[in-house]
Amino acid sequence: MDIRSRALENGRPTLSVRDLTVDFPKRSGSFRAVDGVSLDVWPGEIVGVIGESGSGKTMTALSTLRMLPKRAVVSGSIELGQRRILDLSPAEMRKLRGDRLSFIPQDAMRALNPTMRIGRQVGEPLVLHRNLSFKAAVSRAVDLLRAVHVREPERRVEDYPHGFSGGMQQRAMIAMGLALEPELIIADEPTTALDVTVQAQVLKLLKEIRDREKTSILFITHDLGVVSELCDWVYVMYRGKVVEQGSVERIFTEPREDYTKMLLASTPTLFPREAS
Amino acid sequence: MAAAAGFDFRRWRLVLLGGLLVGIVLFAAIFAPWVAPYSPFDLDVTQMLQGPSAAHWLGTDELGRDVLSRAIYAARISMQVALLAVSVGLVGGTLIGMTAAYFGGLVEQALMRAMDLLFSFPAILLAVVLMASLGTSVLNAMIAIGIVFIPGFSRLARASTQAVLRQQYIEAARSIGMSDARIIFREILPNIMAPLMVEAAVAFAYAVLLESALSFLGLGAQPPDPSWGNMLSTGRGFMAQAPWLSIVPGMAMFICVLGFNLLGDGLRDVTDPHMRE
Ligand SMILES: Nc1ncnc2c1ncn2[C@@H]1O[C@H](COP(=O)(O)OP(=O)(O)OP(=O)(O)O)[C@@H](O)[C@H]1O
Ligand SMILES: [Mg+2]
Repeated sequence: MDIRSRALENGRPTLSVRDLTVDFPKRSGSFRAVDGVSLDVWPGEIVGVIGESGSGKTMTALSTLRMLPKRAVVSGSIELGQRRILDLSPAEMRKLRGDRLSFIPQDAMRALNPTMRIGRQVGEPLVLHRNLSFKAAVSRAVDLLRAVHVREPERRVEDYPHGFSGGMQQRAMIAMGLALEPELIIADEPTTALDVTVQAQVLKLLKEIRDREKTSILFITHDLGVVSELCDWVYVMYRGKVVEQGSVERIFTEPREDYTKMLLASTPTLFPREAS
Repeated sequence: MAAAAGFDFRRWRLVLLGGLLVGIVLFAAIFAPWVAPYSPFDLDVTQMLQGPSAAHWLGTDELGRDVLSRAIYAARISMQVALLAVSVGLVGGTLIGMTAAYFGGLVEQALMRAMDLLFSFPAILLAVVLMASLGTSVLNAMIAIGIVFIPGFSRLARASTQAVLRQQYIEAARSIGMSDARIIFREILPNIMAPLMVEAAVAFAYAVLLESALSFLGLGAQPPDPSWGNMLSTGRGFMAQAPWLSIVPGMAMFICVLGFNLLGDGLRDVTDPHMRE
């Protein structure tokens, strides 16, 4: 087996998911979107979850946030730190979201409220969880935007989202996610909507945050290139199951499962040697 | 962006025209004591049923009161009634519609059934029934008309809320731990204001008509208080001798209703996202 060096250094994983299943009841029987998934994210680790569309990546992430569609039926266990997520009350869960646990969605443009200024939105977690005043939250938002390399943040907090470029909007979302120094950031394809150069900048930013804040990051994507650049550890999902896991080097150099090999082969330009 | 590109007159012309007409009526209503040449109540038996003249631009009524002054003071009553009625409808309907859409399920079914029931009554009949049980007064007229508006606003608020709920920023708001009440008032409400304001302008026009109808029937403003409705009602008896008694309040209503309708239509065009860019 691969050795997870960070697991040896630190006693407990930040996030520990065990035998997670998510079912959607249907007229006859039910559809199993997530089927017995177990995964860990250790402190300061960036963990990739990769798999084709419909393999259950988003449902796994939403389970951790307890934000699945109402009709979904969940079982298994999810622990964040010492907290058993699936046993928390809605109010306790609400306290966790945006504070100990942040979510960065795929399309920042649509995740920002068009009628609210950027500063207010980025500072909102501080208002919700730290009882900061509007003014104090906006002035913290300036620092947060600066930390994600938005230029002239003092001026930018006054802007509405439509005045931001796609890359800046995603930075603003990341700034919002960082506001309360969470233990875990879950990012669901945060760069898919961005062009390649901007994508590279955002990935660099996430790495920087991990190095600086020692935040754990669960990174969902179907882009192998992104995984190889960013992640320490990878889970490969297929039809609701984890079919293979390992360090990025191992997965890319000696994949064991046929599905992983096929995934690697389908992006030949990235790793010409493995593909041939 | 748009501001830098300069003011697009064509896009805003309905809003401007409607706003101008509404502005005239509102100005007259607010500043009636200064705008009106006479008191609306001063009788002058020597000047009964006089046609338009230099002293009385729009003539006098059967008691020798200045028709222009009465029409101006009537704008006051109409605007007050319409403002309160639209507020009742807007606030009540928006709260009901947002609650129904946000919580869904049984809450939604119960609320919208009640709205369907309310909506199925003809507006004027509902107002008359409400007035009959509440008693005839201007305040009751306002409340009655406001209740008539609740179902319409609630349907619009519900549909708009449903559209906003599908937006990702609602999910994002939940993901940072926002409570339901805060999501409803901070995230959803500002995003459904535009269609509600369009509806409010149109409802305003309708409220003016309803108030006039109730006053015409003797259920709204009571003489000697002037209202376009009761002025029309009086004028009806003097159609041949003094047509201005009917024409003046009629024209005033026409200007007011046209103004609010143009404003509503214009706002709809300006705020409709499909017409942007
Ligand atoms: N509300 C729902 N009702 C029923 N089935 C659903 C619902 N939401 C998602 N699913 C199903 O669950 C499965 C897993 O979906 P999920 O969104 O987790 O996939 P994903 O791996 O994130 O895919 P993508 O890369 O396209 O985002 C899919 O087959 C999807 O059709
Ligand atoms: Mg997904």
